[in-house]
Order: sequence, then C-alpha cells, then structure tokens
Amino acid sequence: MKSYWGIFKMEFKGELQYRAKALSGIATQLFWGLLQIYLYTAFLNSGSVDGFSISQMVSYIWLGQAFFALRYVTMPKRVGKEIVNGNVCYKFVRPINIYNQWYVEGIGQKFAATLLRFLPIIVIGFLLPGNLSLSLPVSVGAFFLFLFGLILGLLMSHAFAMLAVYLTFKTLSEKGSIGIVSAIVNMFGGLFIPLPLLPQALQDVLKYLPFSFITDLPLRIYIGNVGIVDGLVLMAIGVVWLIAIIAIGKLLIGGALKKTVVQGG
Amino acid sequence: MLYKNYVKMHLKSSFEYRFNMMFISVNQLLIMVGEILTVYLLFLQFESVAGWTFYEALLMLGVIYTVYSTVEMFARGYDEFPKLVQSGELDRFLIRPVNIHYQIFGSRVEFTKIPRILLGIVISVIALTNLAVDWTVWKVLVLIATYVCGMFVIFGLFLLNAGVSIFTIENLEFLNIITNGSKELAYYPINIYAKWLARIFTFIIPIACFNYLPLSFIMETGSVPMWLCGVAPLFGMLFVVPCLLFFSMSLKHYKSTGT
Repeated sequence: MKSYWGIFKMEFKGELQYRAKALSGIATQLFWGLLQIYLYTAFLNSGSVDGFSISQMVSYIWLGQAFFALRYVTMPKRVGKEIVNGNVCYKFVRPINIYNQWYVEGIGQKFAATLLRFLPIIVIGFLLPGNLSLSLPVSVGAFFLFLFGLILGLLMSHAFAMLAVYLTFKTLSEKGSIGIVSAIVNMFGGLFIPLPLLPQALQDVLKYLPFSFITDLPLRIYIGNVGIVDGLVLMAIGVVWLIAIIAIGKLLIGGALKKTVVQGG
Repeated sequence: MLYKNYVKMHLKSSFEYRFNMMFISVNQLLIMVGEILTVYLLFLQFESVAGWTFYEALLMLGVIYTVYSTVEMFARGYDEFPKLVQSGELDRFLIRPVNIHYQIFGSRVEFTKIPRILLGIVISVIALTNLAVDWTVWKVLVLIATYVCGMFVIFGLFLLNAGVSIFTIENLEFLNIITNGSKELAYYPINIYAKWLARIFTFIIPIACFNYLPLSFIMETGSVPMWLCGVAPLFGMLFVVPCLLFFSMSLKHYKSTGT
C-alpha cells in the first residue's frame, strides 16, 4: 500500500509541473463550454425537456468542462510508449502488480490535472451573467453525493483506460487503442451530448451502463435531475460495475503479460 | 512529377503499417458515426432548431466532414508544421530549390482520411435527396462552390496555425481552438448560435460562407438577400489570401531553433 501511495504522490507532483499546459487547457475548456451552451440553448428554446431546463443544462456543461480532465479517458503517460518500445520489461522485474502500478499512476496524473483546472472554470462559470451562469447545487446532500460521484467517476474512467492499455499490448497502436475506448465511452457517457437530452427510452438503458458513471451521474445529482435516493442506488450499481471492469482489466492484462514478447532492448 | 512520387512514397509507407492504418481509420469512423447519431438523436427529441430540420443539419455535417477531411488528407503537413519548426527540420525545407508550399503538401498525405471523406459525401447525398429543393443551375453551382469555399477556408485556418507556430515554437493546445472550434461550429447552421458568435464566424472567419448562407440560398429561406447568399461562397474563398500572406510573412521571421 505504501508503495502505491508513493507512486500516486510522484505522478501527482509530476503533473503539477505542467502549468502552462493547464492554462491552455482551461482556455480551451471555457471556449468549448460556451459553444455547447449556445448550441443546446438553441435546442432547448425549440422544445423543452422534463427535468433539464436551460439553467440546469448550463450548470451541467460548466461542471462537465471543469472536470474534463477527469472524465476524458487517457492512458497513463509513457505506458503506451513503454509497451511499443519494449521498456515495459523493466516494470516486470519490480515486485509490484503491474496493473495496480499503472492504475495508481494514471489516477495520480488525472487527479492533479483536474485540481489544476477545475477551480478557474467553476469561478468563471459562477461569475458569468444570467443565462450563462453556473448555479449552486440543489441541496447540501446533493453536493456531497456529487463529490462522491466524481471520485467514482475518476476510478471508473481509469478502469476503462486500463482496457486501452490491454488493447495496446495486443495491437501495438496506442493511438488506435485509446481512440476506440474513448470513442465508446464518450458516445455513451455524455461527452458527445448531455445524456438528459437523449430520448427517454435510451436514457433508461444508458443509466445502468458503466459509461454514465464517469461524469454524467454526478452532474445530474448536482443539478437535481436525479434525486438523492435514486443517486445512491445508481452509485451502488456503479461500484459493482467498477469492480467488474477492474477485474476484467486485470484478467486481460495478466493474460497479455504471459504472452508478451519484448522486442529487443 | 515530383508530387506523384511524394504520394507514392506515402502510400507505400502507410501500407507498411496496414493494420495500424486500418485501426486508426476504423476508430475515426466510429467517432463520426457517433457524431451523426448524436445529431440524429437530438432532432428525434426536438424536431427542429431555429427553424432548421434534421436533413438541413445533416447537409451541414456532410459539407464540413467532406471539406475538413479532404484538407486534412492533403494539407496535413501544415498541421504538423509546428513539429518542423521545433525540430529545426524546416531549415532543410528552406534550402531546397522547390517552393515551400509544394514541399509541405508533399511532406504528408494522410490516407486514413479517405473513409471520412467518403462518409462525408454519403451523408451529403442522403441529406440532399431528402430535402425538398427546386433545383436550378444556380443552386447546383452554389452547392459546388460551397464545398470549394469550405476547403479554402479550412486550408486558410491551417495556414494561420502553421504561421503562428513559427513565433510560439511551442505547440499550444489552445491554438487548435480556432481550427477545431470552427469545425465544430460548422456542424449546424451557424445562425442558431448567439449573434456575436455567428458574426465573428461570418465576417472574421467566414464559416457562414460555406454553411448558413449557401444553405439559405438552396432552401430559399432566411433574412439575408438571396443574391448575397449566392455569392457568399466566392467571397469566402478570398479568406485564404490574407492567410497565405500571413504565412509568408511569418516565414520571413523564422529563426531556426537549431538541432
């Protein structure tokens, strides 16, 4: 456990060094947020959706942008390269489980990347005028559940990233592997379109799938689209999914490691 | 011809990594299918936005996909230009007795974009066959001009990005906003956005010239005079001129980073 904490701290500190990158990320997120808000405002002006008013939509978008680093599935840094160039063999000799090591590395990086970015976006979101502004959470309870939801989202997002690590082992194409996994997660997880805007029948299915837990669920709890009791039930389902996806990832990567052929050195 | 050799070389080298090429093509297609599905589902829920219906939006999506992917396929070198600057590789380009643009065009040809171009054309055709349009010769010409204009404008944005990187050297994600933002904006008829945003993307970056304006001309709707909508694509093409000038000016200020 102590060594995992060490890995987490190291990656966390490493990521904090990239401040210019974070600043540029914040500017990008603000622009995207604004663009999406205008787009969905146009749609919501042409017809309404129950439990998703314009002001709720605006909060959903700003929070989504603020926690973008957390919700976007990325591979832990360097891992893709290590697999392709064979340096991964140095990891094999260490007395730590390789899945856990990468998992903790990625979580550390994502956690730091999120911490560097979220606050300015939230603050600017609150300061923006009238129909562009971020609202307060519906209740104190919802706020705390939202925070728990974010942590579940972080763990889930990275459990998916580990599936991309497995695909990289199989295909040796980092770009292609992460691309496929993130395309699927983004499509069903609310990154292409806020899930509350989808037809109800589709939403009823998607809310039980693992993708929505990455950020859609916590945002919905914050804006009051999902009640506290429902939120708790869904999050329990999310925890089961999380355990399942981590187990699948461990199994797959464990299998891939047995067959790994290191290319030269 | 030299360019033909460039293309042949890139084709050969991409086929060396056949699996990689197919894998990347497939996942880019997956993203596009996801985006088309998103637009479809939104219109299933809302029927119309600012008076536009699904097939009108689909045509806009078809235009931007076709245009953007075509530019990406052939002008990818400009996208990768910051790397040339960073590595100092650009020095080698500059001392060769061939025009710099010719060399940049030749430096990358991205064959993985072909499925995207085809998909763009397919959804354009689907949209056009489902729209009730009284076709005239003028409308056909405007439609063709729309695609050409789109390529010019997007190419202009690529030039701007490449030009700026000569000064900044570092490749900042932020700079991509203009290119990617313009692309995403063009997914829908841009008059659905707030007025100030639509104005910027009409008068400064002429996205509207291959988006909202020709669409109004073909559908015979909107408040802008018809003749103005009709000539808009021609006007939009001029955008590439200041971009070319900016690029040449930047190149004069190029200081090698060394190796």
